Amino acid sequence: MARAFSIRRQRGFTAIAVACFFALYLPIGVLVFYSFNAGESLASFDGISLRWFAKAFQNQQVIDASIRSLQIASVAAVVATIAATMAALATTRTEPYRGLTLKYAFINQPLMIPEIVTAVALLIFFARIKIWTGYSGLGYLIAAHTAFCIPFAYLPIRARLENMDLTLEKAAADLYATPWNAFRYVTLPLLWPGILAGFMLAFVISLDDVVITEFVKSAGQDTLPTYMLGQIRRSITPEMNAISTLFLLLSIGVVTVFFIVNRKRV
Amino acid sequence: MAELNAVEIRQVSKIFGFGEFAFAAVDNTSVSIRQNEFFTLLGPSGCGKTTLLRLIAGFEYPTSGEILLNGENIAAMPPFKRPINTVFQSYALFPHMTVAENIGFGLTMLGKPKQEIKSRVDAMLKLVRMEALAGRRTSQISGGQQQRVALARALAPQPKVLLLDEPLSALDYKLRKDMQIELKRLQAETGITFIFVTHDQEEALTMSDRIAVMSSGKILQVGNPREIYDAPADRFVADFIGETNFLKGRIGSVVNGVADVDTSVAGRISATVPQDFHAEGEVTVVLRPEHATLCPPDQPAACQMSGTLENVVYFGTDTHYHVRLSDGETVFTLREQNKPLQAARFSAGDRVGIALEANAARVLRN
Repeated sequence: MARAFSIRRQRGFTAIAVACFFALYLPIGVLVFYSFNAGESLASFDGISLRWFAKAFQNQQVIDASIRSLQIASVAAVVATIAATMAALATTRTEPYRGLTLKYAFINQPLMIPEIVTAVALLIFFARIKIWTGYSGLGYLIAAHTAFCIPFAYLPIRARLENMDLTLEKAAADLYATPWNAFRYVTLPLLWPGILAGFMLAFVISLDDVVITEFVKSAGQDTLPTYMLGQIRRSITPEMNAISTLFLLLSIGVVTVFFIVNRKRV
Repeated sequence: MAELNAVEIRQVSKIFGFGEFAFAAVDNTSVSIRQNEFFTLLGPSGCGKTTLLRLIAGFEYPTSGEILLNGENIAAMPPFKRPINTVFQSYALFPHMTVAENIGFGLTMLGKPKQEIKSRVDAMLKLVRMEALAGRRTSQISGGQQQRVALARALAPQPKVLLLDEPLSALDYKLRKDMQIELKRLQAETGITFIFVTHDQEEALTMSDRIAVMSSGKILQVGNPREIYDAPADRFVADFIGETNFLKGRIGSVVNGVADVDTSVAGRISATVPQDFHAEGEVTVVLRPEHATLCPPDQPAACQMSGTLENVVYFGTDTHYHVRLSDGETVFTLREQNKPLQAARFSAGDRVGIALEANAARVLRN
């Protein structure tokens, strides 16, 4: 009997899959492994120890940079998700019209323009504003992060809205729900998983950003990634590995939490 | 004073698109729907019946004309202010709510007290016999049960009018038959005016107090099922409702509403003429398939027509015969009820005669 085509039964499938997984995870595995190194160097492994984790936890700069990263990511992700939700509602709850595709392109601008171009543009633009206003706080970083987070929040929310049956909102209106109540009691609860997914993506993307942050930050405004970049330029000790491992755990933690929350509501 | 009509549609048009792409989904239509009536909008897809329903619900606004609900013009009122509820074709149950929450949604939105909502939801669950499933998610119940929940949800706020948009089309045959009876029961028990949209003429005939037949945005005929079936207003209605044979002929003398029509295929036959219709010259005569029987061709006295039997279709309760008449063009359809243990009297290829029952023929208004 002829079997249905399955890519898993093709010759060489397993070899290619294993090679890909190695390429993805082997370097990270090595990095995590060396964060437990008892020795001073990355060249030789001198037994297992948590000394570099302890050192990282005592490093005030690491603590400051981490807090700053979380602050920026939280505010930027919340604002970006709200903006993205409104943009998604505006672009899906309408009859298709000429120029709608152009609007998608505008909303997704940060995905298409090279990040370094945006970074340079923001550097020049914000430098002007700094001179005019004298303000040099975290606002610039938050504004920049919000802007490039919007498309990452927008895409899952729009996908969720497009799969939602429009008749449901009609049914709500038919059952005496004002437009606001229809949104509050029908659209929003059904959209919630998409909003959470969008928020999570935006949060992780903001946490991870180097290029734009490096250009926009003022003195003493290092985030965790830019701090690490600065350290690597000097001397590399397993402390970097320890910080990277903690960062990795944080990211996995965020993704896992949102995945679980998402799965509960169908 | 005469009772107010539940819904009155006055010269309503709904035009989609602009300029040369303009298209009248509902074209200058007027109709009155009485209190506590089971009223059906019947027509093929694209005839404007669903648009008319959406205009009554408030999901569309008319380009021109008035829609009166108990005498009040509601044409410009948004749907959430209209005391009218809809049962959607796709049911549109809220997937994040339980059966009971779905049924209570309208009352909650109206701001009714919790105690009242609860007792009303319980009454509705009982009405549609769904008490046992009150706490279920709507994704955990069958299609027929979803249908009942959709009905209960729309009836719970006690609307003045209930709109039903082809609600039975997704159900299988047996379940559809049950739901037809169920809908009639609900209408009788609640006393609410039902406006039902369907393309299924059998459904319309069995359920409705009155039917409006629609085509191309216009209402062609309004009447009770018997009027629509026995006295179709024009060729479209005659063709759409049930099967019909059309015969051309020249009209002769008319005496007491019965005309003597000279047809080329059936010779002279007597046909009823609609009241206030003055027929002259060429006319079309309609004949229902069940008002004719096959007879042996060698008895010309009993048979008005003759021809060749082209095929025989067995339907269980009855058998359909397609006969090519002697002119070689017209195919006449007739239907005979099957009797117990009856052998087939004729088979394809036989020469047969056709006998028409008295008063079977009717002159069509053209």
